[in-house]
This record gives sequence, structure tokens and C-alpha cells, in this order.
Amino acid sequence: MYNEMFQGPELRSEYNLIKAWFEKHGPKALLERQEEADALFRRIGITFAVYTEGGDPDRLIPFDMVPRVFNDSEWSIVERGSIQRAKALNCFIADVYGERKIVEAGIVPESMLLNNPAYLKQMNGFRPPNDIWAHIIGVDIVRTEEDQFYVLEDNCRTPSGVSYVLQNREVMSRIFPELFEGGHVRPVDGYGEHLATAMQDCAPPNCKGKPTLALLTPGQYNSAYYEHYFLADLMGIELVEGTDLFVEDDKVFMRTTKGAEQVHVLYRRIDDDFMDPEVFREDSALGVPGIIRAMEAGNVTLVNAPGTGIADDKAIYIHVPDMIRFYLNEEPILPNVPTYRCDQPDDLAYVLDNLAELVVKEVHGSGGYGMLIGPTSSPEEIEDFRAKLIEHPEAYIAQPTLSLSSAPILTEDGMSPRHVDLRPFVISGKTTNLIPSGLSRVALTEGSLVVNSSQGGGVKDTWVLTKGDSHAE
Amino acid sequence: MLSRTAEGLFWMARYVERMSNTARLLDAGRRLDALPRRAGAPDSEWTSIVIASGCSGSFPGDPKTADVASVCEHLVRDETNPSSIVSCVYAARRNAKAVRPAITSDVWEAINQTYVELNQNLEAELDRKNLSAFLDWVRGRAALIYGARGETMFRDDGHSFAELGKWIERADATARLLDVKYHVLLPDVADVGGGLDYLQWTQILRAANSATAFRHVYGRSVDANGVVDFLVLNRECPRSLRTAVNHLYGELQTLVSKHDAPQNDLLQRVRADYAQLMELTLEEIFEEGLHEWLTQFIMKINIIASTTADVFGFGAQPAVQKMQVAQ
Repeated sequence: MYNEMFQGPELRSEYNLIKAWFEKHGPKALLERQEEADALFRRIGITFAVYTEGGDPDRLIPFDMVPRVFNDSEWSIVERGSIQRAKALNCFIADVYGERKIVEAGIVPESMLLNNPAYLKQMNGFRPPNDIWAHIIGVDIVRTEEDQFYVLEDNCRTPSGVSYVLQNREVMSRIFPELFEGGHVRPVDGYGEHLATAMQDCAPPNCKGKPTLALLTPGQYNSAYYEHYFLADLMGIELVEGTDLFVEDDKVFMRTTKGAEQVHVLYRRIDDDFMDPEVFREDSALGVPGIIRAMEAGNVTLVNAPGTGIADDKAIYIHVPDMIRFYLNEEPILPNVPTYRCDQPDDLAYVLDNLAELVVKEVHGSGGYGMLIGPTSSPEEIEDFRAKLIEHPEAYIAQPTLSLSSAPILTEDGMSPRHVDLRPFVISGKTTNLIPSGLSRVALTEGSLVVNSSQGGGVKDTWVLTKGDSHAE
Repeated sequence: MLSRTAEGLFWMARYVERMSNTARLLDAGRRLDALPRRAGAPDSEWTSIVIASGCSGSFPGDPKTADVASVCEHLVRDETNPSSIVSCVYAARRNAKAVRPAITSDVWEAINQTYVELNQNLEAELDRKNLSAFLDWVRGRAALIYGARGETMFRDDGHSFAELGKWIERADATARLLDVKYHVLLPDVADVGGGLDYLQWTQILRAANSATAFRHVYGRSVDANGVVDFLVLNRECPRSLRTAVNHLYGELQTLVSKHDAPQNDLLQRVRADYAQLMELTLEEIFEEGLHEWLTQFIMKINIIASTTADVFGFGAQPAVQKMQVAQ
């Protein structure tokens, strides 16, 4: 297992600052400050709703105070690799709903597109501004060695979590301002600016003046409502619900105290299915009837466009490295995790023989549910899963259990390593970029590989050191 | 501003005001409950509190049988009663959360913390001792929320909508409070102007947080004329109807000046009501009958509230059914 803080007994120099900080305060004092941090999060209102009966519906995601540190050259791999991937994925989505050159080239079979539940035939022939379909892509990355990163999955629909990236930094810098003295850590302030600029750059063709931007939320009972409010506030744009919007003359308007005001670019945080009852789910009360018509008429840009889910399916995932070669004529900077497709007889046979060593996931699942982690499962659980697998092999893929890198967390006995992953958020408009940080999710249980917040994972502030400062004293 | 945001701010402020009014009423009830009473006189204090809160319809059972326990249950904890303190806090927070980008962190934290502490405060039974501490806490929270709003919010449309909500709720509450006297019949005609009459008017002043102020302003003991003058016509009393309508008119004027044509009808209506109230005399009120006059006033306030909502696009019947599309 790769330990990001120590190389054998040696402290990696990137963590000098952290070690000095830790030794100055000691674990006991730091844990006391932890309560201060939690109180700050709760006061700011950074909570996520958990749908359980009784109790406080607004919970905090556990926040670990030890920052995770990348040096400039490590980050460069993540940055270049994520941007490359986002570019290829956007080319792919445009191709799926356009000429389908990748099918013609024999790289992705057409049936895999057409039979996919995330494929929206209504989008065929549509071309969004700048040919950008997924303006925001979250790339889930794990690390196994010094310079070895793998992409676990792509999130091309409405990836969430960026508010934690920004607020974790905010809280750290309020509680421990001394850590940020001297400017060793690259700031993360640019996110709102990047996103608003990308949205403006993707104004619809019929918008002649300055576009009006808005963020569409399902409302305060959605688990990510805090993030929706936070991002709208950050960009200074209206936070709207479906009932605030209506379509007339193929244009989208919001109801204001001064009458109707046209909206040109809508960052929507509701799923495709619920966007437009005229086109998708008729029973949706969250969406806006006619909004797809307005999009097709060139009067509104939806961020992300409908139908982008076709690119983040686990069956499509296997082909992303080939997409990079095909569309960009480049070699992938970040490799995929080797993946066995259970719909292939040879792969299935191998998977069934090695269940105890593999991670098996549902092709269309998300969030760590419905998966098997072989090495930590009981023989009964493995046999149960074997039965499911034999019945519906096409619904599953399998991957070797990666030895996820670990970063230190604060415990009562001092610092202790836990497995982490990383989700940087790539923004595409006229240019493609990302802020120098990402969401580091950390398993809080020793040895656990599950980092999902819905299953007890926590988050950390994620640092990228300034160039030439990679060995900050 | 989104119509839904205006609506959320309006109701957030209304519920905070209602929460504080309900607490004041209960405090008045609590104080009166402790006063000695003449043998055989009906103890209608808690009944009058139910009536003043506007909850006689939702009160489970006959309001005439109301006592401290049943009134506290209905006006503090009962979630099915929209005027209970619990309902007001929940509704204020729900509205605040829905308009989160339009309020400051200070306002949000003041409201959210009220919600968090409310649940802790209500874990224990509200006996007489706990009740007064709890009511003090509620009024303190209202003051904190008002302070946060007054000190940190921009004086923009959002602020105006919140102020409108507050003053409409206060005008309505004060008028209902005054009307209580009509519902609490004195046992005997001879009692008018007597000890019980005095106590009941004092109770009304207490509920309006104005008993001490009354002596400062009028320099005499409490009577009907004085209380009505104080709570209807006095321009300096923060809970009088004149003060409320004065602020209401001012906020609407500000809002209308920033919006377009159709809103002017609303302003005309409020201006007429405002002018009338400013010229009104005590004699005229009693000539019409206090109860009749108050009934009319409450109706007018409610029409202003619903018209305001319609005009700014968040009412039951938006003034423009299909919103005007500006090109």
C-alpha cells in the first residue's frame, strides 16, 4: 500500500508542514479543534440530508483535519489526465448524438449505445454551443504508487461535492491560518469564476446580449441542496426551482416580482428524467415543461446537456482509453483500472474463479451500493453474489482490488493512515480547466476501501503545493 | 427578484413575528393566571388567550374549558396549529432555507440555531417554572433574528418583503388582541370599569408588551379609552396599528417605486387606508363599535396581504395570470 505521507520510515517532504503543525499542537488539542470545525460547518449550514426517520435530518459529512498534499508534478499528472479525459468524453457524447464515427471505426458497438438506459434518442442531431455536452465532469481517481494513478469512473451527469472542496479549505484557513502563511498552498478560489465563465461562454445561439444564468435545484429537501445554494451564491446567480420557470414561445423565463425574465444558461442539478415532463417522465413535478423545445430552438443552454449519462456508464468506461486515442490522437495520461466485462464468457469465467480477490460492480449502479468487495466479504456474501452474477452477467463488471493509497487522519492516538480517493472537477466552456484541488474522500474505518459519504466516509482539505515549493519546509 | 424568494422572505418574517406574538400572549396568560380573582368569577383568561391567538377554531375541545396545560400544548407544541411556536419556528426555517441565497449568514444562523435549540428546550415538560423561561427564550430569539436582519441585510427588495411580512403580521395580531375584550364578556354590566375590567385591559397591554409604557405615556391608570388609543392611534408605540400601517405603506411605496405600472393600484388602496387611519379619532372608533371597527380593519389588512402577494407574483391569484413576457 502506498502511504502518501511516509516512504518507509521517511517522511515525504511534502508533509513537512503538516508534521510540524501536528507536533506543535499534539493530537489532543487538535481533536478539540475538530469540534470547532464541526460547529463551523454546522453554522455555515454545510450538511447533507439523510433520509432516515426521526433525528436531525441534516447531518455533517465527517471532516478530517489533516490535509492531503500533492506536489506540483504529481498534480500535473492529475490535471493533464483529467482535462484530456474530459475532452475525449465530450467528443464521444457529441459523436454518439452525431455521426457515430466511433461506431464506424469499430471501437464501440452501436448496440451498446442504443440499449443503454442513459442514451436519449431525443438528443440525436442536437449540437450544443461549442459542442460541449458535459460542462462539469467529476473524474474519480485512485492512486496506487508514487506516480501511478487510475481512473475509477467518470461522472458526466450532475457530479456533486465541489462545495466541500471549497468549504473544507475555508474552514481549515479559519481555524489554522498559520498553515497558509507563506503561500505554499495553491488557492481554490477560482471555481465560481471558472464555472460562471464557462456558462457565459456557452450561451445559446439566439442570445445576443449578456446571458442570464441560473441554477435549477429540486429544492431544499434534496440531499445536495446546500451545494446548490452555495454555488448559486458563489456565482451571484438565481437559485430557481421548477415552479419558478416556465416556457413560452420556446424561451425559458423565471417568475420575478417584476414579471418574467428570460434565462439563457441553466445549470440544472436535477436528473435528465425529471427535466421536462413533455419529453421524459410525465409525472415529474421538478422540471419545466417545454424546456427541451427551448433548448433545441437555441434559446437556452442546459448545463450539463441531457444525455451525457451515456459517457459515464461502466460499460462505456472500458472504452475511454480508446476514445482518447481515437478523438485526440493522444495516449491516455491516466489509465483505466483493468476491467472484466461479465457479459464476455472468458471474462465471466475468470471473475467467477476469482471472486474473493475482485471488486464486482453493477454496470448502471452508483454510490457503492450493490457491489462486492471480495477480500473483505464473507464466504456467504461471495456465494450470494455468485448467484446474482450467474443470473445476470451482463449487469456486472469486475476489477482487481486496488491497493488504494492512504493519507493520515487524526485519531485519539495520533495520525493514522486511511484509504483515500480523489475527485477533481473539470470545467469545459471555450477552454477546459480545473482548480488545483479536488474532493478527497477518506474511509474512516481502518482498512476499509469504501469512501462514499453515504456509507460513512469522510472528507479532507486537499492541497496542491505551489511550483518549486514541492518540498516546502 | 424571484417571486418565490419574495414569498419566502415575506413568510419567514411573518412566522418570526407570529412566534414572538404567541409567546407574548402566553406570557400574558401566565401572569394573569397568578392574579387573585373574586370568588365565583369565571376564570376565562386562558379562553381569551385562545381567542386572541386566532386559534379558537383549531383548539381541540371547547375553548371555554381551556387551561394552562391545554393552551400550552396547542400554542407551543401542536404542529397541526400553524400559530403554535413549534410550527412558527419550523415554517420560518423552511422559508429561510428556501431563500438561503437571499438572506445573510447571520440571519440564517439566528433562525437555524433557534430551530436546533427549540428541540432541546422542549425535551422537558413545560410546567409553570419552565414556561416563563421558555417564553423568555422565544422572545430573545425573535429579538436576535430581528437584530440580524436589521444589521446585516441589504436594504433591497428582499428587505422590504420581509418588513411587509412583519408589519402585516403585527397589525393583524394587535387588532386581534384588542378584539379579545369583545369575546371575554364581563359577568355583570356593573363590572364595566370595575376591577375585572381593569385587569383585562391590563392583560391586553401586557400581551402587547406595553403595560409599563402606558403609564409613562398617559400618566393614569388603565382604561378602555387609553388602551385603544395606545394600541390603535399612538404613533410612537411599536405595536400600534398606526405604526404598523405607517411602515407597511412606506415599504410598499419603496417596492412600487422600483416596479412597474399594475402595482400602483395596490398603493392607491393602501394609501386610502393609511390616510383614513391617520385622521381617525377615538370617538369615531367607539361610535362604530370597537369590535366592528377591528373586524373591518383585520379584513383590510388581509386584503392588502393577498393583493401584495398577487401583484408580486406569489399569491393564490397572480394579478397577471400568464406572466407578462418582457421582450
